[in-house]
Amino acid sequence: MKVIAVHLDRCTGCKTCELYCATERGSNGKTLLRAVQERPLPQARVRVEGSNEVPVAMQCRQCRQAPCLDACLTGALRRDGESGVVVIQENNCIGCWTCTLFCPYGVIYPWPQRKIALKCDRCVYMEVPVCVDVCPTKALELIDVDQYEDLLRVKRAETAADLQRKNRLDGALLLDLVERAGS
Amino acid sequence: MDCVIIGGGVAGMRAVLSFRRQWPDKTITLIDTEKEIGYYRTLLPQFMNRTLPENKLFFWQQQDDPRVRVISGVTVESIDRKNRTLFLSNRDSVQYRRLLIASGGRPIVPAVCRTAGGEGIYPVRSLAVARAARDWLPDHPQVVILGGGLVGVKTAAHLAGYNISVTLVEKEKQLLPQALSKEASALVEAELREKKIRLLLGSTVEDLRFNRGALSGVRANGAWISCQTLFVAAGSLPEVAFLSDSGLLQDGRLEVAASLQTSDENIFAAGDAVTIVDNGAFTPWTWPQAMVQGSLAAANLYAPTMSSLRCLSRVNAMNLNGLSLAVIGLPVAGAKRSVYSRPEAGIFRELYHVDGRIVGGALLGDISNAGRLHSLMVSSEPAGTDFNELLRPRLDSFAGTTSCCVKYNRRATLLSEGA
Ligand SMILES: Cc1cc2nc3c(=O)[nH]c(=O)nc-3n(C[C@H](O)[C@H](O)[C@H](O)COP(=O)(O)OP(=O)(O)OC[C@H]3O[C@@H](n4cnc5c(N)ncnc54)[C@H](O)[C@@H]3O)c2cc1C
Ligand code: SF4
Ligand code: SF4
Repeated sequence: MKVIAVHLDRCTGCKTCELYCATERGSNGKTLLRAVQERPLPQARVRVEGSNEVPVAMQCRQCRQAPCLDACLTGALRRDGESGVVVIQENNCIGCWTCTLFCPYGVIYPWPQRKIALKCDRCVYMEVPVCVDVCPTKALELIDVDQYEDLLRVKRAETAADLQRKNRLDGALLLDLVERAGS
Repeated sequence: MDCVIIGGGVAGMRAVLSFRRQWPDKTITLIDTEKEIGYYRTLLPQFMNRTLPENKLFFWQQQDDPRVRVISGVTVESIDRKNRTLFLSNRDSVQYRRLLIASGGRPIVPAVCRTAGGEGIYPVRSLAVARAARDWLPDHPQVVILGGGLVGVKTAAHLAGYNISVTLVEKEKQLLPQALSKEASALVEAELREKKIRLLLGSTVEDLRFNRGALSGVRANGAWISCQTLFVAAGSLPEVAFLSDSGLLQDGRLEVAASLQTSDENIFAAGDAVTIVDNGAFTPWTWPQAMVQGSLAAANLYAPTMSSLRCLSRVNAMNLNGLSLAVIGLPVAGAKRSVYSRPEAGIFRELYHVDGRIVGGALLGDISNAGRLHSLMVSSEPAGTDFNELLRPRLDSFAGTTSCCVKYNRRATLLSEGA
């Protein structure tokens, strides 16, 4: 299964991913200029969180045991058989927000204006997720979940060296692992 | 028969699915009082106001599975544990090797509402009753709802505005008294009043009046209200009376450990029927809990080593046809309370915390970040000291993005050019 990995050391918090996700996946106009004029305002499925010093682009981790799936009151959330991605069938969603309470990463968002919940589906029907495609620093990367451990090892080594060299206090986040200097 | 499940609500149904996956060679029998099973109980209010079509109400269709036998429209009346036998209302009996009790809850119906023979009184719980109420409502649109808890408030919010006039009667002086602080519930009350729902707080239904066998009035606080339909949503009790001679109940409660095993090693239980004894007694009363417990109980039925429930909380979210509401945890007496409030925008967010750990709270109007706050609470992780920051709503996309991102966008561009 493929998931989107986030390289925290490369994320600058520029929100390009957010803007393009909202425009490409959430708007009718498909251009930024048109998107900002639409009502309700299009919403992104990836959000840049954290402080300005340690920003991080957050989106659904496509958990293997997804609490949101168990919580959904209508079956609107389901796992796509082929890709393993957790998707929302919007026409079954009643906007009850139960799923938003159960996602430990806080990455299913209520969208009250449209009465539906919103989450990243990894752009499963597209070749490459929009956010991965547009990120200027390549902080977002589509990886196979089996590659995860390998990447993590490389990342840990890189980060430790980088931190020592630059005496920086921020860390690296890949999938659901946060490493901080000194830990 | 390898396994028998009593109850085809969400806990029982989920158990069937998990059991079939985990033990494909074993047989299973599901028994339920109701004729129609495998539906979303939580959507009954939307079904009654006719916004939810019937085909969207069901999550399960009976399939041709030779290892699953479904007996519906039949009640389990008693159980003989020595011979591992269940006695049914149709005079049949069924034997089990392992038993899962998922009999859910039953509505509390106060004595005054139990008048036999009178039409127009509907306890909110089953599809059969909801169907009858749905057919009754168009000709009897003056409605009183007894109970201002989750089910009463939800039912009121969904019925109001469909040519139905609604009066909600609650005995406490606030709505959702078990889930919300007084301040938070004031917002819910304002929202319901906005929907033209009449609220009678600190009142109860004292008497009923009938005209030719049909309800015509309800007396609350000494005054008669003209009303043809009464929904009873005064809370629930675990449906365990049929176990009274089984020796399984302690003080009338069906107690289970965190593995969902009862005091009988061959019998497990899940969902609204159980009282979980693990650091204090706890009955979840929520759909997500019933779902998770159904799966876990099925997995533990034959497991050599059993797993335990990890997350126990009574969280709930609602969309009252406009006002979003997320209860992260119930108010805790003696805990510190931090509040974020913007009354002009209809936003109120509060957290209860002890020693820097979240122990309860609720978000109204803006429920952003609810998942993270709930997960911090159930993991008992220290949430830091800045509760005001934790409570601050998260911005929507675009809002504030364009102004703050210019600087960082420039940094990104510089970095990518250097790469
Ligand atoms: C109107 C309404 C709205 C709700 N909204 C929400 C919400 O928004 N969010 C939320 O989290 N929760 C909500 N709930 C609560 C939620 O529906 C329950 O927590 C959940 O359905 C419990 O599931 P269960 O399988 O344990 O029990 P149930 O769904 O009650 O199923 C039990 C089944 O067992 C059967 N049974 C009982 N005794 C016997 C017997 N002796 N023999 C045979 N069969 C028997 C019953 O007929 C029933 O079908 C709502 C409930 C109602 C009524
Ligand atoms: S929305 Fe949250 S809980 Fe659901 S799969 Fe994604 S990360 Fe996991
Ligand atoms: S908001 Fe939609 S997806 Fe989330 S639990 Fe409710 S119905 Fe399911």
